[in-house]
Amino acid sequence: MPPLVEARGLHKSYWLGEKEIHVLRGASFSLEPGEMVSLVGPSGVGKSTFLHVIGTLDPPTAGQVLFEGRDAYAMPEEELAAFRNRSIGFVFQFHYLLPEFTALQNTAMPGLINRYSREKAEEAARQVLEMVGLAHRLDHKPGELSGGEQQRVALARALVLKPRLLLADEPTGNLDEATGEGIHQLLVELNRRLGIAAIVVTHNPRLAERMPRRLRLSEGLVIEGSGEEGEVTSSGAISSPPGPGT
Amino acid sequence: MKFRKRAFLVALVLLGAAFAGQLVLRAFLSNRTLLSPDALLAISFGGEALAFLLIGFFVSFLARGFGAREMGLAALLLAIAAFIALRQLKPPSFSYDRFFASTEELILWAALTGAGAWLLGMWGASAGVLLGAAGTPDLRFGYEAGIARTHLRLNRRTALTLIALGLVPPGLLFAAGVLASLRYRRGAETSALGVIVAAGAVVAALLLVARWVQARAALARLQPGQRRKRPATVVMTAISIAGVAVGVWALTVVLSVMSGFEADLKHKILGTNSHAYLLKFSNDFSEWKSVLPKVAAVPGVTGVSPFILNEVILSHGQTVTGAELKGIDPATAGTVSELPRQVIAGDLKWVASPQDIPTSVVEPRSEASKQLEGPEYQQYLEDTLKRRQQHPEEEKNKLDPQALKALPGVCIGKEMSHQIRAWVGDVISVLTPLGEMTPTGPVPRSRPFRVACILYSGMYEYDSKFVYIHLPEAQKFFRMGDNIMGLELKFNDVDAARAEGRRVVSALGGFPYRTKDWAELNRNLFSALKLEKLAMAIILTFIVLVACFNILSTLIMLVLEKTKEISILKSMGARDASVMKIFVLEGLTIGAIGTAMGLLLGFASCSFIERYGLQLDPDVYYISNLPVNADVGQFCAVALISVALSYLATLYPATKASRLSPVDGLRED
Repeated sequence: MPPLVEARGLHKSYWLGEKEIHVLRGASFSLEPGEMVSLVGPSGVGKSTFLHVIGTLDPPTAGQVLFEGRDAYAMPEEELAAFRNRSIGFVFQFHYLLPEFTALQNTAMPGLINRYSREKAEEAARQVLEMVGLAHRLDHKPGELSGGEQQRVALARALVLKPRLLLADEPTGNLDEATGEGIHQLLVELNRRLGIAAIVVTHNPRLAERMPRRLRLSEGLVIEGSGEEGEVTSSGAISSPPGPGT
Repeated sequence: MKFRKRAFLVALVLLGAAFAGQLVLRAFLSNRTLLSPDALLAISFGGEALAFLLIGFFVSFLARGFGAREMGLAALLLAIAAFIALRQLKPPSFSYDRFFASTEELILWAALTGAGAWLLGMWGASAGVLLGAAGTPDLRFGYEAGIARTHLRLNRRTALTLIALGLVPPGLLFAAGVLASLRYRRGAETSALGVIVAAGAVVAALLLVARWVQARAALARLQPGQRRKRPATVVMTAISIAGVAVGVWALTVVLSVMSGFEADLKHKILGTNSHAYLLKFSNDFSEWKSVLPKVAAVPGVTGVSPFILNEVILSHGQTVTGAELKGIDPATAGTVSELPRQVIAGDLKWVASPQDIPTSVVEPRSEASKQLEGPEYQQYLEDTLKRRQQHPEEEKNKLDPQALKALPGVCIGKEMSHQIRAWVGDVISVLTPLGEMTPTGPVPRSRPFRVACILYSGMYEYDSKFVYIHLPEAQKFFRMGDNIMGLELKFNDVDAARAEGRRVVSALGGFPYRTKDWAELNRNLFSALKLEKLAMAIILTFIVLVACFNILSTLIMLVLEKTKEISILKSMGARDASVMKIFVLEGLTIGAIGTAMGLLLGFASCSFIERYGLQLDPDVYYISNLPVNADVGQFCAVALISVALSYLATLYPATKASRLSPVDGLRED
């Protein structure tokens, strides 16, 4: 059985004026269903870009992203959008909730995009919001919620359609430590309960340590382990990734 | 963005079929139906345009997108094919110098065909893309509408404000019109006051609304020291709505006034003239008495009356003027025209019985003063009557009362009466150059007539040119025996005059009979009016167009403002078509609200003008009040144009937004 996600030799470069900036230089890695990994690395190293490429938002300059053996970027736009809608959830550093909608409506949005009926989408949203502990805040708009609550709503929104992959880009980066800790715990708990595979980009080494598998992005490559001691995996060659739950 | 051969081939075949269909349809319609040339062009080219739209829509599904290249290439080939086809067909030229179109004209036509096919095709394709031509067709727009609503801040409060702004000024204008019409009945002096009152009411209402909005805003969200930020796009949205509203307002009011002029002109022309003339391709129409009942029996014909028309010279005292002398039958003239109702002094029947014309001074009819507003006319009437009273012996010196009574009667127009200073009872001389040969050469024939009535049609030309005498008198005067020039006809349906006329001719067995309908008789006037109206419509449509550029820039601002939101929606799996739908819906909402406001305002303005009756100088115009004719079809057409243009305005920003990469908005911070 192929891994849930497999990245093969990802290259990504930007043109900044006359200068070409190589962000990814052949990064490869794979993720098993239900696996949870942390991704660390200094600012500007390309963690977000890596996440966007994995999350089918940004096509790589070279290389492939395979979901269960299927090349994501070979899909036509509409199919890719539908795939993203059902299979991938995103949480960003900023909550990016739609300010004019309530927590419930925000959470129901992916369901509505999937053309669920309003009732069905809101029912699913209500369940997930209860799961993240916001059953009492359904009708509040983002402006009326605290930072932690906003991020919980964002998390609920990412999870409402029960995706198989959650991509979190510094979900606690904008929160104080205690609140961030809470979000992290929630992430781990949800991963355990729902079996959703997750890649969590974080700056916080203590939070990263708690993940079963740790990755580091350096020099445009993905390196196993969060510290200096981690082994460097050459592009395309990944030595037997650990299975779920290890 | 790869080229799709199948889409191209289908587009080419369909475009060719549409073009050929247009040519065939035009040929068919011109041979088999009685449509006017304008209607013919409108139907055939309208059908072609619709076909191009549908082809674009259809091809967008094959091309999985706009299919700009496929349609472009197909349109180019169509243009070339059209050029070759037109060269073979040799269409008539628009130039007066030559009969067939020149090569330059053909190139222009072909280029227009190609460009039209491509543009309309792209327009149709945009609808296809919106409905999901790129992937699975998706007609729903539930969450897109919700998001569009938040972008425009269309919550209950703004909706209420919009309704207030949209309804209050037109309502006030309407009320002012009603008020003015009430005051106007009492006298002309109060009407100026009415304008001031109405304008004041409108301004006061606008101030009140603004004040109310401000107060509501203050109540709703302005706590001391706190002020909610209002993005520039909201202000721009409001400006865009106002722009569309102003454009639509101007368009509806001006077109209504133009229609009013047209309708008024038609009314006046048909008041004096019949709907059609039945003529003969020969000078001998002496069998008219047997033709008349046959014509009257044709279904759709409501009136028939014989006539003779010739040019003469009139003189009264020292004044001489040219005139169109019409011999009529007063008994039936009323069935084909409004002549009996145009009499302001005397009686039309007196032309047939001149002995009834009184020798005493005839006062103008009391209802005439209603038709003839204005102090100048009162002055004129007084002068005329005074002159009559001062010189009553003028004619009596020449003729004894008995001989006076024996003179035939003539009806003259109000302007004519003014020019030659003749009033009912005066004797005028009618002179025709068709005189007798005498040993000294041809001598014009002259006969005295007594004025039997004064007519007022409202058309200056008619009132200053037409004089009416009894048909037998005309036959005698022109030495025509029992001959007449033709029969005047009146139909049930004015606008079908041409078709009805043909029916009458065929009932009489065709040649040598023929009809000329009112539109044909007054073609110059009406085609000038139509051209003027078309030019006005095009010029004023530019106002709406400019307003749509407002929509365009507002939407571009909105797209820039919402880049992040678009990215988030795309990361949640929103499709490109959905993002496009959001912005198209926004633009259409702006356009629709603006259009609705403009239409209401336009309707209220028309009603105000109609009720209040803005005065025109009747010496300059042939109309005393500014006419308006608020036609529902015209309003609908304006609404359609405005909404279609605002849809067009949304396409660029919406496409731009839909093509934004999801990371564009995420990367910024």
